[in-house]
Amino acid sequence: MGPIIPNGLIPIEWDSIIAIFIGICFGFVLESSGFSSSRKLAGVFYGYDFAVLKVFFTAAVVSVIGIYYMDYLGYLDIRQLYVHPTFLWGAIIGGVIMGVGFVAGGFCPGTSLCAVAIGKLDAWVYVLGIMVGVLLFSEFFTFIEPIYDGYFLGNITLMDSFDWNPYWVIFIFSIIAVVAFALADVVRKRVKKVFY
Amino acid sequence: MMVKKKLARFLSFRYVLLALILLILAGGLVMLPKVEKQEGIHAEQLLNKAISTERYVSTDELSDKIISQDPSFILVDVRDPQSFNEYSLPNAVNIPLRNLLDEEYEAYINQTQYDVIFYSNDNFYADQAWVLGNRLGYQNLRVLKGGINEWYNSIINPTVPNEQLAAEDFELYSTRKAASMFFGVMYPEQNRVEEPVIEKPAARKVVPVKKKKKRPVEGGC
Amino acid sequence: MNTNKNSNRHVYWNPYFGGFLLGLIIIFTFYLTGRGLGASGAMKSSVVALVDGVAPTHARTNAYYSLFLSDEDTPLNTWLVFEALGILIGAFISGGLAGRIRWRVQHSPKITSRRRLGFALGGGILFGLGAQIARGCTSGAALSGMAVLSVGGFITMLAIFGSAYAVAYFFRKNWI
Repeated sequence: MGPIIPNGLIPIEWDSIIAIFIGICFGFVLESSGFSSSRKLAGVFYGYDFAVLKVFFTAAVVSVIGIYYMDYLGYLDIRQLYVHPTFLWGAIIGGVIMGVGFVAGGFCPGTSLCAVAIGKLDAWVYVLGIMVGVLLFSEFFTFIEPIYDGYFLGNITLMDSFDWNPYWVIFIFSIIAVVAFALADVVRKRVKKVFY
Repeated sequence: MMVKKKLARFLSFRYVLLALILLILAGGLVMLPKVEKQEGIHAEQLLNKAISTERYVSTDELSDKIISQDPSFILVDVRDPQSFNEYSLPNAVNIPLRNLLDEEYEAYINQTQYDVIFYSNDNFYADQAWVLGNRLGYQNLRVLKGGINEWYNSIINPTVPNEQLAAEDFELYSTRKAASMFFGVMYPEQNRVEEPVIEKPAARKVVPVKKKKKRPVEGGC
Repeated sequence: MNTNKNSNRHVYWNPYFGGFLLGLIIIFTFYLTGRGLGASGAMKSSVVALVDGVAPTHARTNAYYSLFLSDEDTPLNTWLVFEALGILIGAFISGGLAGRIRWRVQHSPKITSRRRLGFALGGGILFGLGAQIARGCTSGAALSGMAVLSVGGFITMLAIFGSAYAVAYFFRKNWI
């Protein structure tokens, strides 16, 4: 029963090898989906290319459905999975700052790594920028710490905080995704094409 | 030509089809009959623990621990309060078996700081407490082998070995005798007259340690 | 798309196909390791290692770096750093197969390279800052968080895309 490494079903030494392997798959898929192009990524905000939305939402829906099926069939214990902790204002403020950075720079960290690999100089500068950002954050950590560590709600899921049935959440989430895809196509047809 | 046309018609529907498949899969999760999963320890693991020698503490080990004031364990008496008040081991906490799952006692048995040693008159009820505790995933549970009866027979009133027996038995006897003196038993050869002290010091305070959720994996980005 | 031959380099996978594979990778990752994907964590580790190399005492006394420093191991020996190396390799393979590898600055014809690089730097700084505050980026917090229906993941995702749409208007010249 998974997750395999935390349950000691294969030795921990595999961890790094698996990390590289998963990274390769991740990088390959991201690059092949066009996530190494900042103009393609930015398209989602101007309506000329919805690749980000489609890839992102499809991945989220597929993974959540898959994980819950695996849990249902007993291959994976969902309670052992790492749940991203919720720091309410940290998530909101951080997210807002990231959003501005996303539009300004045209990448997010994962995609910028892909673009670095194929020689986009703007991505190199972007990664440098991320590192400067981390540096700034660390140097001013004492000022930011109240936000960083405050408003901790625990490693909660939607089920914990709203008492929703996860299966209905997933079902509704998939409907939202499908509607979003359809809307995206409608919008894209109306927006002036941009070639990049 | 026909094939191509058919293919084109099919392809124009492909996204609708894919969306349908997605929704059916997601809906399937809602529709699937929910089976209550057996939580807690698996049968094999429980068996492994049950046959492990770690499970029992002998009375000699226990008296040794008490005399040397080993701070690493908590004694839990699972008999009813009446028997507990009549006689019990020093520093024991009384958690009657019927109250084992009460919230007020959880802090004593659901923690990782101390070993928990269960005992009852023999080891019957203590074993049941042990199984229940393991079922709930509590750590470091032990059972006093033979319980109070064995404690009485071996520590408080050790049998005098007869002369054919090996030297170790005499050694064991003298250790036990010394231990029983520690626990307040008088022997005729002792000259000093001393009131057997049967004081029951307050049960050890246990700082409740919140059991950490099993979360061996760490963080995201 | 009827663009000229040169821009036909941009023939990418169908986004649904890419998303499907990405979803499978996330499932696989959770199944094997019990955790999700990530990217900014590797950059954080590199910064910590860098600062530790340049100014070790400063790194030890700083409240944030010291969280990731230990005496016996380098901060680079983490899962996410290996994964990030994998991302570089994987993207290089994919880009190489599709013939997309070359040195260049990609930008809208309406702006100069210099402007593009400046905005990339600024965007990077903001994203680095934001990713630390939110404890994860789009992949670590939003994508992997959403896969296990984490509240934080959804909030982060909504905040990122909400604010990005809100400010997109002011950056439009850079992109369209």
